Amino acid sequence: MEKETKKNYLKIIFSGFAVMLVLWGCERSVSSLEDAEFPDNPNVFIDTFSESLNYAVFDGAVPEAFQVDEDETYDNSPLSMRFDVPDFGDPRGSYAGGAFFTSVPRNLSGYNALTFWAKGDESTTIGVLGLGIDLNQNLYQAEVNDIQVFKNWRKIIIPIPDPEKLSTEQGMFYYASGPINQEGYTYWLDEMKFENLSTLVFRAASIMDGENVTQNVLPGTSFSITGLTSTHGLPDGTDRRVSPSPHYFNFSSSNESVAQVLPNGQVTVVGVGEATITATFRGQDAAGSYTVFSSDNLGEPENSAPTPTENAASVLSLFSDAYVDVAVDTWLTPWSEPQGSITLEDIEIQGNPTKKYSNVAAAGIETTGANLVNASSMDYFHIDLWTPNMTTVRIKLVDFGPNREFAGGDDTEDEIEFNNLAQGEWNSLKIPLDDFTGLQNRDNMAQYILSGLPSGQGILYVDNVYFSAEGGQPTEPTAAPPTPTTPEIEVISIFSEAYTDVAGTNLNPDWGQQTVVTIEPIQGVNTLKYAGLNYQGIELGSNQDVSGMGFLHIDYWTANSTAFDVFLISPGPVEEAYSLPIPTSGWSSVDIPISEFNSVDLTNVFQMKFEGNGDIWIGNIYFRQ
Amino acid sequence: MTIIKALRMLTAILILFIYGCGTDSTPDPIEEEGTWELVWSDEFEGAEGELPDSDNWTYDIGRGSNGWGNQELQYYTNRPENVSLDGDGNLVITAIEESFSGANYTSARILTQDLFEYQYGRFEARLKTPYGPGLWPAFWMLGGNFSIAGWPNSGEIDIMELRGQEPSKIAGSLHGPGFFGGGAITRSYTLPSGRFDTEFHVFAIEWNQDRIDYYVDDVRFQTITRTDVNNVNGTWVFDQPFFMIMNIAVGGNYVGPPSQNTTFPQIMTVDYVRVYTLSTE
Repeated sequence: MEKETKKNYLKIIFSGFAVMLVLWGCERSVSSLEDAEFPDNPNVFIDTFSESLNYAVFDGAVPEAFQVDEDETYDNSPLSMRFDVPDFGDPRGSYAGGAFFTSVPRNLSGYNALTFWAKGDESTTIGVLGLGIDLNQNLYQAEVNDIQVFKNWRKIIIPIPDPEKLSTEQGMFYYASGPINQEGYTYWLDEMKFENLSTLVFRAASIMDGENVTQNVLPGTSFSITGLTSTHGLPDGTDRRVSPSPHYFNFSSSNESVAQVLPNGQVTVVGVGEATITATFRGQDAAGSYTVFSSDNLGEPENSAPTPTENAASVLSLFSDAYVDVAVDTWLTPWSEPQGSITLEDIEIQGNPTKKYSNVAAAGIETTGANLVNASSMDYFHIDLWTPNMTTVRIKLVDFGPNREFAGGDDTEDEIEFNNLAQGEWNSLKIPLDDFTGLQNRDNMAQYILSGLPSGQGILYVDNVYFSAEGGQPTEPTAAPPTPTTPEIEVISIFSEAYTDVAGTNLNPDWGQQTVVTIEPIQGVNTLKYAGLNYQGIELGSNQDVSGMGFLHIDYWTANSTAFDVFLISPGPVEEAYSLPIPTSGWSSVDIPISEFNSVDLTNVFQMKFEGNGDIWIGNIYFRQ
Repeated sequence: MTIIKALRMLTAILILFIYGCGTDSTPDPIEEEGTWELVWSDEFEGAEGELPDSDNWTYDIGRGSNGWGNQELQYYTNRPENVSLDGDGNLVITAIEESFSGANYTSARILTQDLFEYQYGRFEARLKTPYGPGLWPAFWMLGGNFSIAGWPNSGEIDIMELRGQEPSKIAGSLHGPGFFGGGAITRSYTLPSGRFDTEFHVFAIEWNQDRIDYYVDDVRFQTITRTDVNNVNGTWVFDQPFFMIMNIAVGGNYVGPPSQNTTFPQIMTVDYVRVYTLSTE
């Protein structure tokens, strides 16, 4: 019974059409007085080509993809249009596509839709369908994407974005359909015509996908308004989005002395100041806008990039103050784009070296030949970026493969795009290398390419470019130092919470050192922290006779030191060094035989000294028997 | 069931035929017996975001039993997100796709139960419907004894209900003891041009002791008489005060579930609800 009801409904609609066709007939006689030249023939392909209709194949498409078919037709009509989409790799062409256009223009302004019946040899989507390709200027091109066809006939409606524009139209219909999962398919279209459906409604239109976009630009910048859509309510209660050409919109600039916009949506920034591009569509405001802030000087970072916190042992750095960098061939390859105008300056921000790129379309960085980087044990790519004006930034990584040279069929690469970077502040990107899915090798990393939009206008400050490995050691101790077990009676303590230290000892005498000394509690236990060690002395509160002791005991912790020596000193001064093993894995405890310091007067030790680099935490220093 | 429906279609065709011949079998409009005098109205004047007048409207909250008896998918609330004035003299009921207390949609259902119940007259609303597969807006009435007698003994007068997948077509129906659910007396009306979601239309019934006339704008598209009810072995229970209900249901037996092509949120915009009595003075 449901079906019968439905049928009833369809009959009512059809009788409506019949009535309206008659009315159109009346209207035509009126309108023909004003607009005599062009026929308003609604038919495109009913059972054959309509009057003056031609067909042209798109470049690269299979020439025979479109055929007139007499076997599969809608409602047993004599002929339908058949489209055979090729399989992947078909030598005749990679897709099916072409345009149907008339040699005599038609006045289609009395219709609001192109309609036809469609079926497929399987249920599938059939790519792009549209109208307005006339093989000339294609001014009023409009298309819909991913229309579904089924194995039975269904009616398809392509709303005309704005019928008023189509008073002199030659582009009746076009299609472009490629293989899906490398496989072709066939679909049929029939009874193709223009209609005026009272149940089809225009809802809204937008530019920039309805977003209010803002952009800092330099004078001279040129770009296009994109994200053009119009939405129409179909008789089945669903909404259909159409992509109209810019010519359906009327664009305007709020300040012509700053930015000017052409009917094709091309914007040129001609002066300094602020201007907003908006559009109307069918006499209504379209959603979305594009505001430019044009300035000769877009500003620069006030603060240097954040200091990286990764442990140096798990970092492979190309450019950072915080680490030792590997050799880089160049930070701006000759093939960077646009050639001749892209520039690189080495600047300092708050004393921190930073790379500044200007006029960026694509900036190449290379580590080739002997400088190839083996990042196979690395997990992340880091980069700090600051831009006043880029809306899109892409990062491409290229590995040269086993031949260690460009090309040769073994290069792999991938690129990741960022569309949401904050402008005017540092963005610290830490990208898992696994996200670069196309980058199949990482042991001969050769190129790092920064690109983005607005192309050729981008300004980009770059710092802290490095790879890092997962699970690197922490950069400071999380656990308290070991608690000594030697009885106090057998100990002379210099620094320890467990013992009474030699009274009056100066832990930070001014010997001209750069080391920053602090007492830092770790889990409630005070430690002696040497940050940025070069050397550091300790003056004992009283001279000590340690000749009766067996060992000098030190508990210490470091993640980044590559040198750490301890000295005992007797007056003279006479000193002797002992190299401590570094870096540590957690807290290290050493018992250095006192005999290692035999050149010193062990009965009269009055100072100690540490030399080396990095950040070091010391838990206990004492002599024991 | 099939036979009954087929019979009903036959009836419909006959009525069409009779209309076509312009015979006087169709009764004159009730209004010709007097004039309509306004007895109750809500024009929905008020500040944006306010709930409608609590002297006029109460709410059904939650999911009801078995989706309000129809496997409906929404959770009804009285949050301003789902029901509020728009500040321009309209009430807006909004169906939202969101996770809420186990439901995937929220919406609202407002009613005049125990606040305003009335017998006979003209009951009308001017409104724009929502649209889209799975949307089921309605303007309807239940008998005042509903909470005691239950359904369908209370009687149900559906002034307007619409399937969102057919935005140019509404139905008017009558349910009661012996003729309810799939057996209700019903008739649909399709606009000759346009849709119910894009412009305001007036939906009304005119009701007296003998019959109920169904209107869209000025078009009377259905008349149901005591005789029609008797002819389907039903009982005429429409001699008591009824209360009004307005709602948007999502999904349910009548429309099926929303599809991935259904646009949310969806709104029903109500300009006014008015009730008139027939004055014969």
